[in-house]
Amino acid sequence: MSQAVVSVNAGMLLPVLAPAVAAAIVLVADVAAPHLRRAHYVVALTSLVVGAVATFAGVGMAAGDARQTLCLPGGGQCMYAADSVTSALQLAALLAAAVTLLLSWPDDKKQSSGSTAVIVSLVLTATAGATAVAGARDVGSWLVALELATLPTVALVALRGARSAISGAVALLTTSLVSFSLLALAAALWFTATSSAFLTPAAALTVTDDPARRPILVLAVVLVVAGIGFKLSLVPFHAWTPEAYDGAPLPIAAFLAGVSKIAALAALVVVIRAVAPLGAPPLTAIAIVAALSMTLGNIMALRQDGVVRLLAWSTVAQAGWVVLPLATVSSAAVRASGAYLLAYVVATLLAFAVVAALVQTRGAARARTLSEYRGLLRDHPVLASALALALLSLAGLPPGVLGLVAKVTVLRPVVASELWLLAVVAAFNAVLGVAVYVRWLRAVLAPPDAPPDAAPDGAAPEAARAVRAHPATLVAVGFAAVALVLTSLSPQLILGLLGS
Amino acid sequence: MVILLLAALAIPAVTGTFLIVFGRGSRAAAEGNANLLSLAASVATAALVVASVIARPVVDQPWLPSLGIRWQFAVDGISAPLLLLTAALGIAVVVHARSHPPHGGSPTMFYGCLQLVELGALATFLSRDAVIFFLSFEVVLIPMWVLISRFGDSHDLAARADASGRFVLYTVLGSTLMLVGILALVQAAGTANLDALAAAHGAGLERHTQVIIAALLLVGLGIKIPLFPLHTWLPPAHTIAPTAGSVLLAAVLLKMGTYGVVRLVIAPLPIGFGALAPAFAVAGVVGILWGGLACLVENDLKRLIAYSSVAHMGFVVLGLSSGTTVGLQAALFANVAHGVVSALLFFLVGGLKERWGSSDLATARAALREVSPRLGLALVVGFAASLGLPGLVGFWGEFLAMYSAWSPAPDRPQGLMRVLAAVAVTGTALAAGYSLRVLRLIWSGDRTTPAHADARGGEWSVLAVLVTAVLVLGIAPGLVLNSTIKDVAAITAEVSR
Repeated sequence: MSQAVVSVNAGMLLPVLAPAVAAAIVLVADVAAPHLRRAHYVVALTSLVVGAVATFAGVGMAAGDARQTLCLPGGGQCMYAADSVTSALQLAALLAAAVTLLLSWPDDKKQSSGSTAVIVSLVLTATAGATAVAGARDVGSWLVALELATLPTVALVALRGARSAISGAVALLTTSLVSFSLLALAAALWFTATSSAFLTPAAALTVTDDPARRPILVLAVVLVVAGIGFKLSLVPFHAWTPEAYDGAPLPIAAFLAGVSKIAALAALVVVIRAVAPLGAPPLTAIAIVAALSMTLGNIMALRQDGVVRLLAWSTVAQAGWVVLPLATVSSAAVRASGAYLLAYVVATLLAFAVVAALVQTRGAARARTLSEYRGLLRDHPVLASALALALLSLAGLPPGVLGLVAKVTVLRPVVASELWLLAVVAAFNAVLGVAVYVRWLRAVLAPPDAPPDAAPDGAAPEAARAVRAHPATLVAVGFAAVALVLTSLSPQLILGLLGS
Repeated sequence: MVILLLAALAIPAVTGTFLIVFGRGSRAAAEGNANLLSLAASVATAALVVASVIARPVVDQPWLPSLGIRWQFAVDGISAPLLLLTAALGIAVVVHARSHPPHGGSPTMFYGCLQLVELGALATFLSRDAVIFFLSFEVVLIPMWVLISRFGDSHDLAARADASGRFVLYTVLGSTLMLVGILALVQAAGTANLDALAAAHGAGLERHTQVIIAALLLVGLGIKIPLFPLHTWLPPAHTIAPTAGSVLLAAVLLKMGTYGVVRLVIAPLPIGFGALAPAFAVAGVVGILWGGLACLVENDLKRLIAYSSVAHMGFVVLGLSSGTTVGLQAALFANVAHGVVSALLFFLVGGLKERWGSSDLATARAALREVSPRLGLALVVGFAASLGLPGLVGFWGEFLAMYSAWSPAPDRPQGLMRVLAAVAVTGTALAAGYSLRVLRLIWSGDRTTPAHADARGGEWSVLAVLVTAVLVLGIAPGLVLNSTIKDVAAITAEVSR
């Protein structure tokens, strides 16, 4: 054993291994006992919790500390490293996946879904990809893990089989392939520039010896930004987002908005941190992409009447905020970006969970357009309060203090680098963003259009109201709501995860 | 002692949150209970604020170590009058709402929002950390938006949606620009503590850095003040807002803007502010004229008072721009004066609008002098103070502001400032014009139909207290001026160099 090619510390890899192994277990169990459904969810949730607990060892570590494994013999470089930012993103991905699974918990009354095992294992696989890409430190596993996080989502979107789902899946697949080719090219350029397969500062610093290789590295980074721009839904690579969100089942849309975004940012962070020590000038490309994403995302979100499409365009806008600090290429910027993403994921998952609960309670027709949210505060005060908190957090206004602190966090590096124009563009987008979410909030707080008694057949609304949301969905709502309330009271809970 | 100050913030926070989140299903849901709970909370808060103003406790606790943000709260001479004003009006709006219950939503939501607005305003005036200042500034937004959009005038729903939307969007733009400025200031100066920033007087900051940061902050805060031409959100918001909302908006929220200018711009960035002061003063004086002219032709009474707010805040801006101790004193006094006078006028006009069914001046009404002498008296005092009659509270701030503009700090362009002072004088003539116009239209005359009830109970006690405050502060302005002089002198000692 002492002559192992690489050292393996399974404990450190647990955030990746747990969901991956569980995915395999679920598939095997499905072959052995085809009628199992809830057992799959139990296995999956257990594995996600195990993985999440395993990340605790890494969160909140001081800057510079990292837990490394898969190292080459002789004290060589490691292919897997988890520092505080990595661990925090992994934790968020695992918990977000858990919320997604709770939202898609099988309903007792419907016996039709034979694809339970497939859905669960695809979710787990994509989650394993997300946690793996966060820790990957070599070009090969980085690329494979990123695709592992992406491709299962195509199948997840398509599985519903509806026409809109297929078109969403095709849009997602096409962009994934384009994105993959850009990233593969970037990986090749990285190798050409640095003669190293490792995504580490040490590798990047080799280009300082040879100025001729520097442009190649810059090109590689720009291609990475473009390739990941697809996954993060950054303008101009965003076109798939509303299609896929709207076509996918609601829990899968939540997955795309949560875990997939974490995977994409984690992948970007790996590269940005590798090149940060080069002292690169601000990445104008990221600044432009961030400004465009915010602006277009917000403007389009303002025009949407469907809540899922609104959330999809809001993702585009929020993705702009997420990468905003990365324009300054610094380790503080990476932490800021991570903090914003986590704040966004908590709030967005809560919004999706509330929408899912309402779909179950009132039926899809009465929960997917903005006008149907009129009077929600009166009909469902608890769900409406949770939704209001999520929307205000996304808008960055108290009582959604988490969102506000996140905005402070991402603006800091931008201001510190004196990118005034970008900061002012961001300020205007904060206003547009508020307009987007306040539009929804206005409906939630408004009195109902007509009192329920005035309906022509008095019995129908009563019957509709009697339907309760699935307990698992309510658990998801409660979990996300508690997380958002706690982190709003003390945003340090999230900032601390990312280290100091 | 620290507990006093924290409790002064905790009580409105807890009461407001309780009323909004749990109020609906609890016993507080009844109108009277919500009002009583709110009243108890406001009175307790006010008592704690008074105690804090006397004891001057200092809170300093870490909150977000990774961002270096600390809970830092303290009271000094500059914030004390505004804190007292906020706490007093916090009681007044609740007392007034006893006799004028809110329409349009549940009473728990209404009173909860009032508590949260009070919380945000108190926290803004108390905070000594620049980022906490910003967070507190934002706390008032959503509750005020709810007050306007849910409890506002429901005659024209589209206008209400427009007014509340404008309010929230303009203010968010202002505060986000302010945030960028604050972050830049904190980054450049290396501290977020407002006292440390003020003590440094901008030492070590390049001129161009100061100018950029001051410009961001002035534009951001200028929206809140509101400064011409960024004032267009104010008239619709006032026209639509319920009485309590209008009062808090005019008397408290606008003050947060000018207070922010003192704390974040004048004290820490003297050179940057000096460079921008002429433009700032010009905007203020244009506001004086613009507001005055608009008031001469405006036929909606609430909107008229909103425009007069723009004019009055113009005087505050003029005083701030002069760079002298007198100017700053004038600005802070005018701040408080406008708080008292606008609160009085909005309580009055809100009551009148309820009695009349609209606030249109073109409709013939019964003369207040004839049918409701109490309302008439309060109206006369309010508009007399508004036009700057000597002996009333409105006089000192505006008189001293013009005086300070006539003899500004040495680094200000004296010629321009004198021209501005002269123009501001014509602004007071306009104020006299529109004040007398309103009095002629609704106070004088001998028409007695359609009759309406005079002020009684809660409404009359609120009006009487405010009328007394107008008289007392007008006769003894030293009550405020002596409180602020020490801290103001500390700021201008360096500015006027």
